[in-house]
Amino acid sequence: MIRELSRTRLLWDSLILVLILVSCVMVPYQFAFNQGNALSGFQVIYLIDLFFIVDIFLNCRTTFRRHGVEVSDRPSCTKYYARRLMVVDILGSLPLDLIAWVLIGNGQFLGGSLVLALRLLRLLRIVRLFVILRRWEAFSWSNPGALRVVKFLVSILLLMHWLACIWFFLAFASGFPADSWAARASIVDSGPVAQYIRSIYWTITTMTTVGYGDITPARSAEYVLSAVIMLMGASLYAFIIGSVASLLSSIQAAKNSHWERIDSVTEFLRQRQVPAAIDAKVRNYYEYVWEHDRGMNKNDMLNDLPGPLRLEILLHLASNILETVPLFKNCSPILRDELLISLESRTFTPGSNIAGEGEMGRSIYFIVEGSVEIISADTQKSWGTLGEGDYFGFMSMVLGERRTATTRAIGFCDLLILDKENFNRIKAEFPEFNDVLKRASAERTEQISELVLEGIIL
Amino acid sequence: MEISVTESGDVRILSFKGNLDTNTSPQAENEINGLIEAGAQKLLVNFENLDYISSAGLRILLATAKKLKASPGDLKICCLNETVQEVFDISGFATILSVSKTEEEALGAY
Repeated sequence: MIRELSRTRLLWDSLILVLILVSCVMVPYQFAFNQGNALSGFQVIYLIDLFFIVDIFLNCRTTFRRHGVEVSDRPSCTKYYARRLMVVDILGSLPLDLIAWVLIGNGQFLGGSLVLALRLLRLLRIVRLFVILRRWEAFSWSNPGALRVVKFLVSILLLMHWLACIWFFLAFASGFPADSWAARASIVDSGPVAQYIRSIYWTITTMTTVGYGDITPARSAEYVLSAVIMLMGASLYAFIIGSVASLLSSIQAAKNSHWERIDSVTEFLRQRQVPAAIDAKVRNYYEYVWEHDRGMNKNDMLNDLPGPLRLEILLHLASNILETVPLFKNCSPILRDELLISLESRTFTPGSNIAGEGEMGRSIYFIVEGSVEIISADTQKSWGTLGEGDYFGFMSMVLGERRTATTRAIGFCDLLILDKENFNRIKAEFPEFNDVLKRASAERTEQISELVLEGIIL
Repeated sequence: MEISVTESGDVRILSFKGNLDTNTSPQAENEINGLIEAGAQKLLVNFENLDYISSAGLRILLATAKKLKASPGDLKICCLNETVQEVFDISGFATILSVSKTEEEALGAY
């Protein structure tokens, strides 16, 4: 069985995608501009057909996802494919034109060759193109915005190509009368390339509502097609403008919303006449948050996810600190998971107070990144610094005393915070927690005792 | 807070009863300093009946341990109740102050 999101399937799909585009360009071109030579280029067409026939067999053996679970047994996969796209794929791949040629020869259909008209069935392959693009959206590397742009551009370009082919075929099927657009544009005896250029030029000018008026309809069928293209053009124009605007904004959605937030905060600060120094600090903070987390708040983002999935992401995000922070190094996996779920991540700006002197301790702070200075609020005397992996705040919380010093972030500081409620809960549920804290603090007991001797309680 | 001092060989045993906080720590400090000045080098603090210890109490213990280590002498602590044990564990003091579960165990360790 071939896995739906495997590398093999991806490579094969890439090849099929290219062949679909070749078919969708070549087949209508031949139908409109090369009627005189129905069999030219048939080798390429039938070679491509071979790939699509192989693709049908491969599709029967490709896994699919049902309710988020990959189904890989062959009968189910074949049934799944048969119910959806097998008929379309078979119709788009069978060389019906060749069968017709052998059985009845090249008859007439709508004023053109029957063989070439049957060949148009290959245009059904366009459905497979969208299936492939949808499948690629499931790949983690794919950018949904970019895929939408590709889908959109391919659709527009193919539509224009097909309309150009139909526009020329109208003149051809009617036998190029003097009042047909092709006769008036003097391209009846030109080569197919020149004819194609004129046709696509007219399609683009009409579709984009430019309409120079150098090529105009004169016959009923031409008027009808022109009207249809003009209608399509007008709607397409609105669609393009809307889609491009929404695509651009969705590609930069995170950045835009981040800057919008900064603008509204800055506007608020300006209205309240907050000093420029504080305003600069706020901007500095947002810049750091953008650099660090792309402006997203981890706590808010992950709250939407179910518990186990959130834990998996947290474990991945915290993989670097799990190795460095002593608290996690000494934990059992269950306690570690519980701590990760309960800890709140917060960033402090340079010079901001993390825990103030005189406050009652309500949380323990674990330093993930950055360093913290311990200072007396009134004298500004420094009592030393704490770095990555250190933690503080527990003395005040456990002893139930007010802090006797302030902790201040030296640079940008990322902390994990465990509040009193969670601390007590984890302590009650995991008797090993005290032991873990004991081992985590063992490395810096001297520093803690020096601080206590100086009367510093954090 | 009540402090009673008993002797077991050359070890002075201080038994604390009540709260060792900012208000009562000067009393405890005086008592301990008095014993050290009188020549006691081995002190055992029994916290069996201690209800609460504040940072001021911890400071006295740490200061005494430091003083006795330099003299040379030894400070041991025994019979911590749950709250006090927690403070000792989390702060890591349990590793720098010699803590025993019972008085006998502590006396045997000198």
